[in-house]
Amino acid sequence: MTGVLQKSPTRSGQTLARRRRRVPPLVPIILGALLVLALTYVLPPFRNYQLATVGAYFTVTAGLTVLTGLNGQLSLGHGALMATGAYTFALAQNRWLSMPLSVLAAILTTTLAGVVIGLAAARLRGPYLAGLTLAVAVVVPSVTSTFDETFNSDMGLSVALDPPPGVVPMEQWQAWLCWAGALVTAFLLATLVRGRFGRDLRAVRDDETAARLAGVHVARTQVIAFVVSAACAGLAGVLFAFLAQSVSPGAFPLTLSLFLVMAIVIGGLGRLVGALLGAVLLVALPALAQTASERSGSQHLEGNLALVIFGVVLVVVMLAAPGGLASIHTNFRRKR
Amino acid sequence: MSTKIPDHELALDHITVRFGGLTALDDVSLRVPAGRIVGVIGPNGAGKTTLFNVICGFVTPTAGEITLDGRAWRPRPHHLNRLGIARTLQGVGQFSGLTVLENVQVGIRNRHSRQPSERGWRESRHSGQPSERGEQGDWHSGEPSERGGQEGRHSGQPSEQGEHEGRHSGQPSRRGWRGGREKRSEQDALDALERCGAAEYAYEHPGALPYAIRKRIELARALASRPRILMLDEPAGGLDADEIQWLAGLIRDTDTTVLLVEHHMDLVMAVCDEILVLDFGKPIALGPPVEISANEKVTEAYLGAVA
Ligand SMILES: Nc1ncnc2c1ncn2[C@@H]1O[C@H](COP(=O)(O)OP(=O)(O)O)[C@@H](O)[C@H]1O
Ligand SMILES: [Mg+2]
Repeated sequence: MTGVLQKSPTRSGQTLARRRRRVPPLVPIILGALLVLALTYVLPPFRNYQLATVGAYFTVTAGLTVLTGLNGQLSLGHGALMATGAYTFALAQNRWLSMPLSVLAAILTTTLAGVVIGLAAARLRGPYLAGLTLAVAVVVPSVTSTFDETFNSDMGLSVALDPPPGVVPMEQWQAWLCWAGALVTAFLLATLVRGRFGRDLRAVRDDETAARLAGVHVARTQVIAFVVSAACAGLAGVLFAFLAQSVSPGAFPLTLSLFLVMAIVIGGLGRLVGALLGAVLLVALPALAQTASERSGSQHLEGNLALVIFGVVLVVVMLAAPGGLASIHTNFRRKR
Repeated sequence: MSTKIPDHELALDHITVRFGGLTALDDVSLRVPAGRIVGVIGPNGAGKTTLFNVICGFVTPTAGEITLDGRAWRPRPHHLNRLGIARTLQGVGQFSGLTVLENVQVGIRNRHSRQPSERGWRESRHSGQPSERGEQGDWHSGEPSERGGQEGRHSGQPSEQGEHEGRHSGQPSRRGWRGGREKRSEQDALDALERCGAAEYAYEHPGALPYAIRKRIELARALASRPRILMLDEPAGGLDADEIQWLAGLIRDTDTTVLLVEHHMDLVMAVCDEILVLDFGKPIALGPPVEISANEKVTEAYLGAVA
């Protein structure tokens, strides 16, 4: 028993060498911010708009990968949560025209929705959970047509926005704000899942009974995970409303939720880097589909083509690198 | 020092469990005195795991009562860790997506930043009886009082608190209290793994490891939480003779109360102070190993069936 404390130098040397280095989350975040800032000065406006869209997508995929990848809860309703955030933002903005206030209102509303759905979700597993979140994805857009005085039905609402400060071009301003939201979100998430809470999330995902016996409050952990990722989706919704300067049910279809899930799987489940790669694909692949359908001259093709391309990429990536794109780098390092 | 300790830390009174028409436990009573090693044996399907499930709150008994430190107690699985009760699962219940070290760390919650010396911890725990009472107020409130591991701070266990602070300020902790906590939990987990002979696998994932190693990891997670009651469900399954020998030593040295469900009679006979024999849910014998091995009913029901 006294041997417990004495460790031979070789043993501790070994373990130190094999220990995974923990990079403080602030370093990649600051580097990312600098990179984005630099890019916004050299990219043409349309590319800046796309860059901004990547940031908005990253905000939601980051939260979703924590929920699905780390905690094992599949959500097909995150598109609807984004819609919740977007509409709240639009309504608040049109009334008060105060960005911070509207953003706060949007996040709070989505968080509240997350609490309600999360409480129900914590009681459901597998296909039932998928069914619940799917129902959310279907119901939320239809709310807009039921209360069409408030939400203006399928036409949606335009969002009143202050102009960008000074001489900053709109697209550059959009990229800044979207990436500010994305990077703050990523930083908070990375900090949250670094220590014990992250371990608890993954323990619950892997074996609920063992986690419970180890002292983890399973339901609470699941609800917190859902709420956190809902808040991220809410913020992403805000960013999308800000980008489009309007909100409409058509911007948050069921396919959006499916795309989000596919993106985090392709990127690498449970990893923020994977969520980032997924966000890039969410912008790049539809753009590709658009180019292709423009060439073929069929407008009809575009939406379906994006889905097809995503499906193909998903299958190929899963066959080549089951851990997703983010795992390729690590596999390579390990092989060397 | 021991005057204030209740006679039995844990007691089951006339526990009956029915699953539909099946009576898995039939009027089982068991007293587990502090510091003792109590074995539960019986043929497959006798209700041993069900008995553990009752104590852990996974199964609510149809009839009967459970008391902890002399007070009526309604167990809840996620409260066990806080109450100092750790259980290993029959088979292995591991988190395949976590490293071995992280697997063990999951069992280490806030309240466990104590001196690594088991003996010291146990003594301070016993001398700190009044504060334990304070904690019990919480335990027995029945409802989930989710203050997650803050009891230590509230109920104030002066001596331990002092130790803790001392250790903490003793180390230059550059990463703030949170980093310090992570470091401590990492060190505690490594210690537990070392104790279970699995430290060399700390940075691997359990899925790829042999069954016997995974059993050790399971044990390490239970021990890392520094339990006062350790519940082991067939810990020797899949271990060879040498490993069982090692396990026997470990169980004897834990200095905690142990509840042991096991098929290997040698192990049970070697380590247990007392043995409960179940047969189709019915308690057919209860006594020290010598009595049990001489008991005809037991030989008939269990030993005969196995041989
Ligand atoms: N949750 C349950 N539902 C229905 N029957 C159960 C349940 N758990 C255990 N049983 C039954 O109770 C009996 C005792 O099981 P168990 O306690 O696992 O036995 P042991 O661990 O002694 O081998 C078995 O017949 C088993 O099938
Ligand atoms: Mg069993």
